[in-house]
Amino acid sequence: MAELTSKERVNKFFKKEPIDTMPVFSGMGTVVIQAVNEMGVKFAQVHTTAELLAGSALKSSEMCGLDAVVIPYDMATVAEAVGCGLTLYENSADILYPTVPNKWETLEAVDIPADFMKRARMPMVDEAFEILLKDGRFGVGAWQLGPFTLAGQIIELGLLLKGAKKNKEAVEAFLTKMTDIVIESIKHYESLGVDFLNIREMGSGTDLLSPKMWNSLIQPHLIRIFSELKTPSVLHICGGTDMIVPLMNQCGADALSFDQKNTITKTREVVGNDVIVLGNFDPYGTMVQMENPADVETAMKKCIDDGVDAVWPGCDLWPDVKMDNIKAWVNTSREYGRKPSPAIGRL
Amino acid sequence: MSKSKEEFYKALSEAVVEYDEDACKELSQEVLDNPDTLTPMEAVMNGLAAGMEEVGRLYDTHEYFVPEVLMCADALYAGLGILRPHIPKADAGVNAQVVIGSIQGDVHDIGKNLVKMMFDVAGWGVHDLGRDVPLEQFVEKQLDTNSEVVAMSAMMTTTMLGMKKVIAMIKEKNPECLIMLGGAPVTKDVANLFGADGYADSAGNAVSEGIKMIGRLREFQASKK
Repeated sequence: MAELTSKERVNKFFKKEPIDTMPVFSGMGTVVIQAVNEMGVKFAQVHTTAELLAGSALKSSEMCGLDAVVIPYDMATVAEAVGCGLTLYENSADILYPTVPNKWETLEAVDIPADFMKRARMPMVDEAFEILLKDGRFGVGAWQLGPFTLAGQIIELGLLLKGAKKNKEAVEAFLTKMTDIVIESIKHYESLGVDFLNIREMGSGTDLLSPKMWNSLIQPHLIRIFSELKTPSVLHICGGTDMIVPLMNQCGADALSFDQKNTITKTREVVGNDVIVLGNFDPYGTMVQMENPADVETAMKKCIDDGVDAVWPGCDLWPDVKMDNIKAWVNTSREYGRKPSPAIGRL
Repeated sequence: MSKSKEEFYKALSEAVVEYDEDACKELSQEVLDNPDTLTPMEAVMNGLAAGMEEVGRLYDTHEYFVPEVLMCADALYAGLGILRPHIPKADAGVNAQVVIGSIQGDVHDIGKNLVKMMFDVAGWGVHDLGRDVPLEQFVEKQLDTNSEVVAMSAMMTTTMLGMKKVIAMIKEKNPECLIMLGGAPVTKDVANLFGADGYADSAGNAVSEGIKMIGRLREFQASKK
């Protein structure tokens, strides 16, 4: 029988205190369609009210047996609040996350309203956090896009990428503006009392940027963000990360999260055993595509053997999961993860 | 003294690799001013496109990343804009069309635009539907234009599944149509599972794949001579 509650397990985990077994959670969306269906609503609706957002997060974690809840689910909340609009795909038969339809066409044209935290769905997200925190059963996680990825939500990414070479000063000033937004929003979530924060600088992997550019363009802003935070924090980057692990490790986050492209064994060698490492299964390839839960178990064990401290998906869970695969994730982490992980001891 | 054919090829190629838009424009104009030396089509294929092949090699060896590739693409387009109008339709590459777009729910289009460039260079008729494209539009456009290829990209896992539906709809109506998928979450397994004919898993790999396509096209055209 578990000795710790889910919330205690998550909190002790980030404090690097001994825990009973490996916590099962994520710093990215873990809403599952089974929970949304049981609530009798459409996927497009869960992003629109505090009750549905928090309710679907709680129900998903209950059904799956996870230790934490994480909201919001879409990347558009801030971009919508600063004026880029919102597409909800209410009439689509598919599961689609909200996106922003409009982007500014030049860096100079971007005009961020000072009260963006009070606009669009931002107050609704606050209210949802209050519901989750009041519930009290689960660790509560908030996340925000990193400055570069957030910039890509509100201006053309190509503009930013080319500008990084041709117009470095303007891009630098713009990223500083984005960093201010990230800090304001994430410190606000910290003030609400969330248990952990995840900065997802997902668009900055080496599929797009060179390590050199990452060092000069991305890292200084992330260092500034993490230096502002007192709550346990995670830095997550998707895609190619092997070449920037040492740089990520200098940013000041309490934990590093990677997707399936990272070579965790090498990462663990680079960062040592004091840093919390999270990852790195392919959420679609395992939770949706695998036909046999035994294959999921093998994939989860590999993550643990490679040296993660908690088995995290590399991105948001695709909501249309196979519940048996989720159970395999949870059960393997709980059982195979009873032994200490590199950074976290056991009770 | 005017340049030889080989000197033009080299200079155009280098201008692309060095993402020098101005040089691409000037050299392209110079090509037009020297019709006895080389044709605009030769300049595109053996100068601009050859430069982009080198860019692909530099990307593969991690000397270039996407920002550099995008700037090289701009340089290539700067030359192409000058040369293309002077290429007789009969010489304008393959007589084929492609429908291209980012799938509904996805507002990212860097990879899509890079692949589009490959088709542009190769002289294809390109029907760019943009981004966040409703699934039916791919099918309608393919049927309207009878395009040989439909190329779709999705940067997020969360939008990838729409591709499967589009492929099924297109293949049902036109089994001969080739489908290319691209985007970070797209793996070989996914492409196979969805019934696609080709895939690239990142903007960069889309570049590599597209460039290889150009390479094959250049070999094909050379073999015809």
